[in-house]
Amino acid sequence: METSYTKEEILAQQLQAAFEHLITEVVRKDTVFAFAPKEQVSSILLYAKEKLGYISLSHLSCVDWLESGELELVYIIWSPETKVNLFVKTRIDRENPVMENTDMIWRQINTYQREIREMFGVEFPGFIGEKEFILEDWEDAPPMRRDFDTLEYVNDTFFEREGREDKQDVRERIANRSGEEIPDFAKKYSRE
Amino acid sequence: MREKSTTLYLGPQHPGITGNMMVKLQLEGDTIVKATTHVGYLHRAFEKLIERRNWMQSTTILCRFCVPEPDPPEAAFALAVEQIEGREVPERGQYLRSLVLELARLQSFMLWYAGQSGSAGLYTVGQWSVGDRNYVLDLFEELTGGRIYHMYIWPGGVRRDIPEGFEDKVLRTMDYIEKRIDDYDRMMFDSAIFQKRAQGVGVITKEKAMEWGVVGAPLRGCGIGHDVRKDNPYDAYDKLDFEMGIFEGGDVWARARVRQFEIRQTISMIRQLIQNLPSGDYLNKMPNPMKWTIPAGSAYGKVESVRGEFGFHVVSDGSDKPRRAHARGPAYVHGVSLLEDVLVGENLADVSFIMNSLGVCPPEIER
Repeated sequence: METSYTKEEILAQQLQAAFEHLITEVVRKDTVFAFAPKEQVSSILLYAKEKLGYISLSHLSCVDWLESGELELVYIIWSPETKVNLFVKTRIDRENPVMENTDMIWRQINTYQREIREMFGVEFPGFIGEKEFILEDWEDAPPMRRDFDTLEYVNDTFFEREGREDKQDVRERIANRSGEEIPDFAKKYSRE
Repeated sequence: MREKSTTLYLGPQHPGITGNMMVKLQLEGDTIVKATTHVGYLHRAFEKLIERRNWMQSTTILCRFCVPEPDPPEAAFALAVEQIEGREVPERGQYLRSLVLELARLQSFMLWYAGQSGSAGLYTVGQWSVGDRNYVLDLFEELTGGRIYHMYIWPGGVRRDIPEGFEDKVLRTMDYIEKRIDDYDRMMFDSAIFQKRAQGVGVITKEKAMEWGVVGAPLRGCGIGHDVRKDNPYDAYDKLDFEMGIFEGGDVWARARVRQFEIRQTISMIRQLIQNLPSGDYLNKMPNPMKWTIPAGSAYGKVESVRGEFGFHVVSDGSDKPRRAHARGPAYVHGVSLLEDVLVGENLADVSFIMNSLGVCPPEIER
């Protein structure tokens, strides 16, 4: 009896036949994950684009796995024929984050790489893109990394304007300024 | 005689554009030789803030990604979370989500009418459409409590059911707006000024559209039929009868024709959703929202906004907070590198006209 495969299983088989060391996983309907070493990523993307019809890049994302000392780059590509999302995932060293430049495969990767370089500190050798994207004159650690504490940065960098301190009772301040008396039923909401 | 080159810093305000971004232009006469985009005026680190909040608290931030169309980020995030968790949405919840998404598209189309016509000097259309848009915002206020930000679409369904008499109000509002659109069209599409300004301007070829990852009306204006609602139907879209607007040319005119066609499709879909609204639950309730954990995994949720595909890559490490939630709005593609490419060779006066046509939304680029 002939076995019938789903479109997701066929894609996983095609990728595994073409690439060594590639681990594929059919996660759910319309979604296939492919875990690859970073050296293979551009070949997989090109193969998927040219041979398998995955012509559209939906997303390029970066996830910080602080605990294991790795950054994960996720390329999400899509085929108008199979309508399947293929996630090509690779992990790179967090201390020395270097990834191959892939903006010649899809021009829009340029913008994603600019953001990932700025927000996660990943270098893409050979990549020509304006250095600054969202941040200006930034000298601190890449801010989207998990060990960058936004609250601490804000407390160290900015100061409260006088009269705008946190946790003050706005109702009471307004009442004091205007001479208005706070009725009893409203006093229970006071922070005191 | 050699023409002198001039550098002009245009922006950060542009007519018809919601949000701020600057475009550095190299000009020869009034022709653009080089364009460089500069964002950074609106970065609020929403994605970082989401990582510090639990899953339910995150839903209050999502709508702020894009002011003119706040519902697609909510829906894309909810779809991704549901994929990871395997949570089903009740049929009524699916219909109500599609209803809200289409109402959001409708009001966003009306803002586009204002921006696109206003940047061509036809101010009357904008005053009409922004005025009439308030009737849609009234519906949102009644349904969700908010006119602009709704926080209505939750993983598992929607936040609340529709109030009494709401269906009738929606249908009456649609009847009114449908008539008004004919007036906008006569004023805008029949105008020689608009036709002359729009035809042959801001051209994107089919090849370039595929290479740059163009989506939404700009892609369908190149003659390529791709719409997330058709290709990967979500919520109630597989039960609706609608067509994509596909036009050839790839210029501002073609993109305007796509939107002119699709606003009527949206009105038709809203009527279908109201007429076929099923009974039953509207939300597949999650456990205690403050202790709600999502199994480890990742997913990409995507929906079709007025400007194109809006996607969310959501990663969970099994805890009560998202590990990563990374948005990809259409403006991320259209508003940076593509815009820099399209502007070359165009006239200085057409910059905001082209930006409106591509659906550039700076708050969505830098989030």
